[in-house]
Amino acid sequence: MTVDIRLTVNGDDYAISAPPYRSLLDALRNDCGLTGSKKGCEVGDCGSCTVILDGKPVNACLVLAIEADGARIRTVEGLQAAPGQPNPLQENFMAHGAAQCGFCTPGVLVMAQALLDENPNPSEDEIRFALAGNICRCTGYTKIVAAVRAAADDMKREGAL
Amino acid sequence: VTASSDRAIQGEADGRRLSVVGRSVKRADLIEKVTGAAKFAGDVAFPGLLHGKIKRAQIAHARIAHIDASRALALPGVKAVLTHADVPRVLHAGSPHPRSASVTKDQFILDDRVRYWGEGVAAVAASSEEIAEEALDLIAVDYEPLPAVFTPEEAMAEGAPQLHENRLPGNDVLPPVVVRRGDVENGFAEADFVLEGEYGLGRPTPSYMEPNVCVCNWDLNGKLTIWTSTQSAFMVRGTLAEVLGLPLNKVRVLVDHMGGGFGGKQDLFQHEFLCALLARRCGRPVRMEYSRKETFLGGRTRHSGRIWLKQGFRSDGAIVARQARIVFDSGAYGSHGPGVTNVATASLTSLYRCPNVDVSGRCVYTNTPIAGAFRGYGVVQTTYALDLQMDEAAERLGFDPADLKLMNAVRDGDISPSGHPIVGHGLEDCIRRGVEEVGWRARPAPARAAGGVKRRGRGMGCEMHGSSAYPGIKEQGNAVVKLNEDGSVTLLTGAAGLGTGAHTALAQIAAESLGVAFESVSVVHGDTDVAPWDIGAFASHTTFMVGMATKMAAEDVRRKLVERAAPMLDAKPEAISVSAGVIRCAGTNRSMTVAEAVAPTMGQPAAQYYGVGSYSPTKSYSFAAHFVEVEVDTETGEVRVLQVVPVHEIGRVVHPIAAQGQIEGGIQQGVGHTLSEDFRIDPRSGRPLNPSFVDYKMPLAMDMPAIRTILLETAPDPGGPFGAKGVGEDPIIAIGPAIANAIHDAIGVRFRHYPITPEQVLHALRRKREAERPAHAEP
Repeated sequence: MTVDIRLTVNGDDYAISAPPYRSLLDALRNDCGLTGSKKGCEVGDCGSCTVILDGKPVNACLVLAIEADGARIRTVEGLQAAPGQPNPLQENFMAHGAAQCGFCTPGVLVMAQALLDENPNPSEDEIRFALAGNICRCTGYTKIVAAVRAAADDMKREGAL
Repeated sequence: VTASSDRAIQGEADGRRLSVVGRSVKRADLIEKVTGAAKFAGDVAFPGLLHGKIKRAQIAHARIAHIDASRALALPGVKAVLTHADVPRVLHAGSPHPRSASVTKDQFILDDRVRYWGEGVAAVAASSEEIAEEALDLIAVDYEPLPAVFTPEEAMAEGAPQLHENRLPGNDVLPPVVVRRGDVENGFAEADFVLEGEYGLGRPTPSYMEPNVCVCNWDLNGKLTIWTSTQSAFMVRGTLAEVLGLPLNKVRVLVDHMGGGFGGKQDLFQHEFLCALLARRCGRPVRMEYSRKETFLGGRTRHSGRIWLKQGFRSDGAIVARQARIVFDSGAYGSHGPGVTNVATASLTSLYRCPNVDVSGRCVYTNTPIAGAFRGYGVVQTTYALDLQMDEAAERLGFDPADLKLMNAVRDGDISPSGHPIVGHGLEDCIRRGVEEVGWRARPAPARAAGGVKRRGRGMGCEMHGSSAYPGIKEQGNAVVKLNEDGSVTLLTGAAGLGTGAHTALAQIAAESLGVAFESVSVVHGDTDVAPWDIGAFASHTTFMVGMATKMAAEDVRRKLVERAAPMLDAKPEAISVSAGVIRCAGTNRSMTVAEAVAPTMGQPAAQYYGVGSYSPTKSYSFAAHFVEVEVDTETGEVRVLQVVPVHEIGRVVHPIAAQGQIEGGIQQGVGHTLSEDFRIDPRSGRPLNPSFVDYKMPLAMDMPAIRTILLETAPDPGGPFGAKGVGEDPIIAIGPAIANAIHDAIGVRFRHYPITPEQVLHALRRKREAERPAHAEP
């Protein structure tokens, strides 16, 4: 048995037909072809699949696709303004070397985006708290925290212009 | 082109200042990673893709009496089931280093016997993951349980069950490794005092973020293509070809981006064989992805076990004798047991000088998950014991530990663990710089006597680690550099993209050596049909060995380019320089671009230059000293690391930000090893107890302190490109002893094991209080 589900992902509409037990993560990866969100544990422990669902960051592996029916979703693919125009977070992750293998990076970026959407001027402690559900095994967080902080500064400057 | 390791280290390339090497240029892989465009093996999709799953044993040691797959095969959507009766029975090594003497051929794809809880006993391919999962429950396996051993002590006991019939008696993976120098008995006789201790090693796992995954497809000519997450595409190719009976050109291994490995993904895993066989059986592409739980069960761990260490010291601080016995737990198969045991044993001859050494190492099979390669490769374990005992000796002597370590540090000309002479004074430089940087001499007195609930302590730890796996493995670095007809450059490398930025470092080295801008070099990698052979991204090999091969290949092209350009500029080749894509004739204002030099001329095609570099093995050592501050909560037992100052001497730094990233990440893993990470095995059943990220505790963003990395370039190595040495292994080694020594500074307790958990801290503090309480005092 499958159910019809409508998702708006990064502004694009997707009409999919999936069994009711399909996770939002599997729907995004397999039905929408958006493989940027990663499956690191499938049980909400690692944060690699973090997406913004109607304005709130969630682990897409813990949400059923049918629960997201009609929702607006933002994934890592939707962070840049246009192809070739990375947003300040993405720019700073590159400049600071805040990614190594890159597997946790989509989830970390999306979580950081959700943080900055809510709190445009986070302290280091607030950044670390916000990212506490996103495991990175390569970089040691130092560069990630620095990149998020620098992105906040860049966005503030851009806003002031 | 032959190796030129005897050439002087060039601080400058051909008299020029380095223009690309040493700069944190833009890494080409990052734009794909921050946009979600990067394709990992698990992102590969095909129409008609089938999904494979492995049925795993829920018993640690058993003979399989019977497997009935009929009900699984009858489930609609199931396309194939494989058991040990259906797969080639070829004994192979989990760690198939093709040029290593220590390869342990002790694994079958599927066996009629189970040797650890979670071992795969059958595999299914079905039209969906859910159906494949359901089919696993329909496979009936009859087990005849066998007596099992879960610790090295049990495995070494007389009459213990043998895990492998055709291996050494006593469950030894390899004959004991013995390294002796001088006369240890005379050394102890000369000693003013002797320290002795037994050090317990936890069982950390690499826990890379990307679970193991592969996709296999066969073409109609019998050629296998496998997309897989591996650190060593050519080892996957070699072993699959060997076990499946194929020539190497019928196995193509593709790996673009991969989600971390830290050594663990050097091995071949059961799913890579099974996925290939299922795809062949079904005539359709098959994908197999481990769950996180399977990545724990069927993955690799660091070798746990014990180290007994005894050293004799003179009252002037000299170490006069060192004796050690290492026992490692290999788990159910040999994997990297021989390599790790050899490297660990040899490592105890060095770091701190000692003329009389008697060290031996054993590695034994047990019915537990497989231990394999993991960053730090045996040296994490031995350095923990050695450095902790140095701290203890300093206390006994009344010396500052930094002074005792400095006094005994290995230095230029000393024999390294590999037998090569140490180049330079890297370890001394690291200690001196760190002492200065953290104000070590002015640090507060130990807080252990103070009455506060939270007590701070400071500690330091040292380490050294070799670049490349030579001489254990006869390595080789290879590179092909193509100069295109517009002056752009293509570098072909077999080195895997582990995320370290190594491809960027190789492109920097190519640009520097050829004399073109960094931006004009692109790197082709991740395809065994195209790239030159490489052993894999491990053992701090890539920048060092492949970097040197890249330099040689680029210099080869440069030579050809200069020969062509010289007459065009009416100059002798000796007068020509190439820099930033411009060819100049010395003493004149005549110049042309590289693009102009290779462009077609009237009646002549464009120049086609290919440079090939093949670099023979060599060895160098990188060094580090880590300085940490910790805070111990005496009420909860929690240890927080407040700050870390790692000082690393890694020769020429090719890409500073990437090198720092390696160091910071290694420290994070080391903090986890030392304080919280331990893959626990039930001592009665062999069942893993914490195969998840909730129960296996890795440091998170809030747990990690500020890290202020200092890179030194004081002991560049002539064997590496522009004097570069490895950096990947080092940072995980010194942090452990630094933390343990800092905990001692804070609370006066020496923990001779890792991880040091809050529970153990509380127990130790209670015991200490009881011991210190006067016997007659009222409670």
